Amino acid sequence: MELDNNKSKVKVVVSGIIPFFFIILMMAYIFGPGAGLLDFGVALPEITIEKVDFIESEIQATIRNTGPIPVEIAMADVNDRIQPSAIEPDRFLERYETALVRIPFEWNEAEPYAIGITVEDGTRFEKQIEAAAPALEPTLDLAIFFAIIGTYVGIIPVMIGLLWLPFIKKINKSKYHFFLALTVGLLLFLGIDSIEEAIEVSKENLADVFNGILLVATVTALSFLGLYYAGEKLLKKSESSRLTKPVAIALMISIGIGLHNFGEGLAIGAAVGIGSIAFSTFLIVGFALHNTTEGIAIAAPMSRERKVIGKLAIMGMIAGSPAIFGAWVGGFVYSPFSSVVFLSIGAGAIFQVIIIILNMIRVECNNNLSSAAVVSGISVGMVVMYLTGILI
Amino acid sequence: MIPVFMIFAFYFIFSEGISAQQEDQTFVTHTGAVVKTSGEVLDPVYQVSEVEFDPDKYLREFNYGRVSTLENGQTLREFTIIAEDDRVQEISPGVFYNVWTFNGTVPGPTLRATEGDLLKINFINNGSKEHTMHFHGIHPAEMDGVFEIVGGNGGRFTYEFEAGPAGVHPYHCHVMPLEEHISHGLYGVFIVDPKEGRPAADEMVMVLNGFDTDFDTENNFYAANTIPFYYQHHPIQINKDELIRVYVVNMVEFDPINNLHLHGNLYQYYPTGTDIIPSEFTDMITLSQTERGIMEFKYQYPGKYLFHAHKVEFSEKGWVGIFLVKDNIGIKE
Ligand SMILES: [Cu+2]
Repeated sequence: MELDNNKSKVKVVVSGIIPFFFIILMMAYIFGPGAGLLDFGVALPEITIEKVDFIESEIQATIRNTGPIPVEIAMADVNDRIQPSAIEPDRFLERYETALVRIPFEWNEAEPYAIGITVEDGTRFEKQIEAAAPALEPTLDLAIFFAIIGTYVGIIPVMIGLLWLPFIKKINKSKYHFFLALTVGLLLFLGIDSIEEAIEVSKENLADVFNGILLVATVTALSFLGLYYAGEKLLKKSESSRLTKPVAIALMISIGIGLHNFGEGLAIGAAVGIGSIAFSTFLIVGFALHNTTEGIAIAAPMSRERKVIGKLAIMGMIAGSPAIFGAWVGGFVYSPFSSVVFLSIGAGAIFQVIIIILNMIRVECNNNLSSAAVVSGISVGMVVMYLTGILI
Repeated sequence: MIPVFMIFAFYFIFSEGISAQQEDQTFVTHTGAVVKTSGEVLDPVYQVSEVEFDPDKYLREFNYGRVSTLENGQTLREFTIIAEDDRVQEISPGVFYNVWTFNGTVPGPTLRATEGDLLKINFINNGSKEHTMHFHGIHPAEMDGVFEIVGGNGGRFTYEFEAGPAGVHPYHCHVMPLEEHISHGLYGVFIVDPKEGRPAADEMVMVLNGFDTDFDTENNFYAANTIPFYYQHHPIQINKDELIRVYVVNMVEFDPINNLHLHGNLYQYYPTGTDIIPSEFTDMITLSQTERGIMEFKYQYPGKYLFHAHKVEFSEKGWVGIFLVKDNIGIKE
């Protein structure tokens, strides 16, 4: 009996190991010395100019080795005219390593520039800048300015939206479901908007090697799954604690919207950072307007609660204040990679909240999501977002 | 959530400021400003680089061949030219390019003869591709180097013709795709002196060329004699009041024109060098592909004088140099 047991254990272990053996064999066949199966030809160097800053009498380019092999930087140019320059820390870049290229140059404000970097095999890489504008220095004044902008774009509109709470409180159940569904519509639009924004940023500023669209898909899915898991835990906990289910849901909505607003802050900060004042004003007005609807999204699930003012204030802050941090990051240290990641996390968070709210409606409506209130709510939510969205 | 964002924000803001201090290096910009850096200098202009090809040597080196006299009294000049296409040369500091060469250099050697000399050019193609030598000038059809393709890995051909007419001519490979063979470097200068000779002078050759290092049919570098900015960093030393004769040949591909502007002076210009009367007294001529000529001038005042393409793009990508005029030392009258 004992012997049999051991024997079967060995069998299990061996049967688990055998496939590994074949995997190693296969890899050795494909990649091993003398394997002629894979011939990718010549590995070409590739660098990406991720960021260009215009400071006094100098243009600074942040570059990254985004190719499959180490590269050596040979030269920098402005508008295809060779310029003596400096590279810090040094000219040798391993894969994904970054360096700062400092090009002394008397640039003119608002003029377009093309910044070029040539590597050792003579290949030149270029980035076009539409209009040169002095790089923002992280001064306290500017930080305060961004904080005020963030407050106007994030916190205040959300708080205004929350003022609809008393109205939502007074309406009947199907109208309440309409407003919950309206929230779903609003969020659905925001989620798609975030993904679109993330893809756009990745297309314009991210090296191909990061595979922008798949990065967005991966981060969105992971953030959705992670938050979904955490959200379910939070809901379970809410059953046995002071935290009620609607509050838990509203909290999740706030977090999702907060991540989204962080992305909006990034966009505003970056727009100010690259000096397109008209565009940033446009963004500020547009975001501020449509963010009032985010307040409704938070308020709707809370409408059957009592003594909510304090909680709502906190949630308003959670949803709105990230716009401030986004503006700081976007304005002072914009990085296309981090903004794509943040926007994707925001999208995942929003989709998770949508699922939670739909669940909530389904439970309340006896497993029925096809009521007129729900369908019209989602539709109106999306249309409202679209209409406020085209103001941006 | 907020603290998390704050940590992120602070990380992004302050992480760049944390880097080790290294010994500072300095360099000079185009406008003369001195810039300090903790990193490395990327400087194609001012850095002394150990380039394989020596523009100083090339400038005043003329290859007259192995000279003998035939029974009829005619001078015979024999040259051996070997083509290769596997060389990788640093053509600007830090930039490496596959050059195709005649006798190991771009441009190939400056061949020089007198009008009426019999030339025998033993051409050996040690490259991996087919190459030829096509001389501008007057010669029989079968010596033209167009249809007489010379195979690689040791193919041979002997070009035999009489030198003429007097002037400065280019020679280059004439295998298709032609632009590829020329822009990789298979060209050189062929000078035919008139029988009566030219007045004594400090003579030099300038081949205006460029390199398309990323193969987008636009030149990334321009130069007089291959190395961008070389004569700006190593001025060409000449004597005050001495006659200077420059044989200029434009071998730039991809761009319709090139030109040469001389500072603080004007030159007598002899287009193609075929006439003994200059066409112009000017400080600026414009040359199309393989247009060439002879420039003669003297400097009255010592000092540094720029010469460059007045197509400023070319000069800012390397085609710029300096004559350093010295005060009457070792002048040959
Ligand atoms: Cu050839």
